[in-house]
Amino acid sequence: MAFAIRRKRTRELLLIWFFLAPSLLIFLLYRIIPLLWNGVLSFEFWSPYKPAEFAGLYHYEEMLLYDDVFWQAFWNTAIFMASAPIGILIALLVAILVDTPIRGRNVYRTIVFMSYPVMTVAVGIIWQWLYNEKVGLFNYVLVSLGIVEQGIPFLETASLALPAVIVASIWQVLGFYMIILLTGLQNIQPSLYEAAAIDGANAWMRFRRITLPLLRPSIFLCFVIGIINSFTNFDLIYVMTDGGPSHATELLVTYIYRVAFKLAQFDYAAALTIVNFLFFVFLAWLANRLAGGEVGAVETG
Amino acid sequence: MNRFPKWVIHLGLGIICAAMMVPFYWVLKTSLTGENIFAYPPSLVPENPHLFYYVDVWYSIPFFRYLVNSVIVSIIVVVANVVLNAMAGFALTREFMGKGAIIMLFLSCMMIPFQVTIIPAYLITRDIGLLNTHLGMALPLCSTIVCIFVFKASFDAIPKSLIDAARIDGVPDWMIIFRIMVPLSQSAIATNIILAFIWSWNNFLWPLVIIRDNDMQTLPLGLARFLTVVEDSTGALYAFCIMVLVPGLVIFLLAQKQFIAGLTSGAAKG
Repeated sequence: MAFAIRRKRTRELLLIWFFLAPSLLIFLLYRIIPLLWNGVLSFEFWSPYKPAEFAGLYHYEEMLLYDDVFWQAFWNTAIFMASAPIGILIALLVAILVDTPIRGRNVYRTIVFMSYPVMTVAVGIIWQWLYNEKVGLFNYVLVSLGIVEQGIPFLETASLALPAVIVASIWQVLGFYMIILLTGLQNIQPSLYEAAAIDGANAWMRFRRITLPLLRPSIFLCFVIGIINSFTNFDLIYVMTDGGPSHATELLVTYIYRVAFKLAQFDYAAALTIVNFLFFVFLAWLANRLAGGEVGAVETG
Repeated sequence: MNRFPKWVIHLGLGIICAAMMVPFYWVLKTSLTGENIFAYPPSLVPENPHLFYYVDVWYSIPFFRYLVNSVIVSIIVVVANVVLNAMAGFALTREFMGKGAIIMLFLSCMMIPFQVTIIPAYLITRDIGLLNTHLGMALPLCSTIVCIFVFKASFDAIPKSLIDAARIDGVPDWMIIFRIMVPLSQSAIATNIILAFIWSWNNFLWPLVIIRDNDMQTLPLGLARFLTVVEDSTGALYAFCIMVLVPGLVIFLLAQKQFIAGLTSGAAKG
């Protein structure tokens, strides 16, 4: 009898691991091994056509001390990230308005969210032409209103290209922020507001003292998404500016792609990737600490 | 909590929605008229709309070929996601040694953005001979951590007594899975299908890295390279954008609820 139960248990365990195996294999193959391999590669001289040689910290030294483009990409990524609060603020406003019991709120919500699931490559192309010097909508409006005489080449001007790309990026991700904040707003008990109103708190005080504190996890989740976005937003940059003009819109992710697949310096690109990853993990950790350790937590219980 | 008059709210939301819709409208208008290359100032309403540019896109590049590639990759990704994530999610509802470690592993994998793995991922794909293949494009997307947890939550919500009752009645395990668990997890399945489809359909960086063969390109690759193939033509380019955007938008509008549920249940793309 005990033997039969144990055999049944063994069969169940086999089934469990059999069920887990394919997913584990994919994550091993495309997340864990690549990360470790990157680490190894970053300490080597290596190209597809010659055997590896130990390089020590050569690539890191090169990157941190002599590579101006790396630093430019680094700061651009930081600026890209620092622009997230603008989008989150707009999204918060929209979420508060959509959270009121007005007619058509679902339609408004759908329209604001619609830009998120569309293909980023197409978004990049659309915005590239909106910014066009001669035929773009923005320059048409600016010229018609008499604000400028000649069209502005937004994406070809070093000082304007990064802000222009950031606007397009905020346009795309705004709806996602809004949905997260809206979910947060809807989880706040209405009785809290009623109690506060009875105690004589005005609308602003209720917002300051109830909405904002209770919305904190949602707001920080938006920040984390903003951080991830600034590290992964390859498609938009590649299509709109390809990192130009003269690296003015180069992010770390586009620079890594360029070094690896255009210049075929896989070893150096691996070192860039490691620095990029450590920077990312540090920021995600920081955001998580500031939010009280609950950001991005998935129910694991 | 709001005491704004209704018209103020409508006005505010109206302005935001207009700002969100303008790029879409501009694309649609230009794809139907193509006029903003020839006419200045451009007009705000489409004049003499025609479908010339759509036909132009269809014939000037192997559009159908790209479409088929995109569809094949998306089908592989969607089917693999539903099956593999459901299996993993089911396994995680059981007790076994190392379960905590596996969950930790999954959660830490979520912290590794795919973008930081591309170089070794490329080398691995080359070594297993999957460069320039549909499977190679699909494989990294074939299981998603967020969706594993969506499935786990959905399976956890099924009352244990229901399954125990079926067991006592002698219903075999596979039948419990297909007759009880799958029907009760329909919304998790829908969520997974939609997320997997959108991620696969829009995926750009990975195909860009591993596809060299012109015949194997997907729609986003074709779109990004379109201007190097066709003469500078905003009309055709925008028609291409519309043709690529429509499937994603339609699926999103049809299944908005599941899509949003999936996105808000996990912090980020897994």
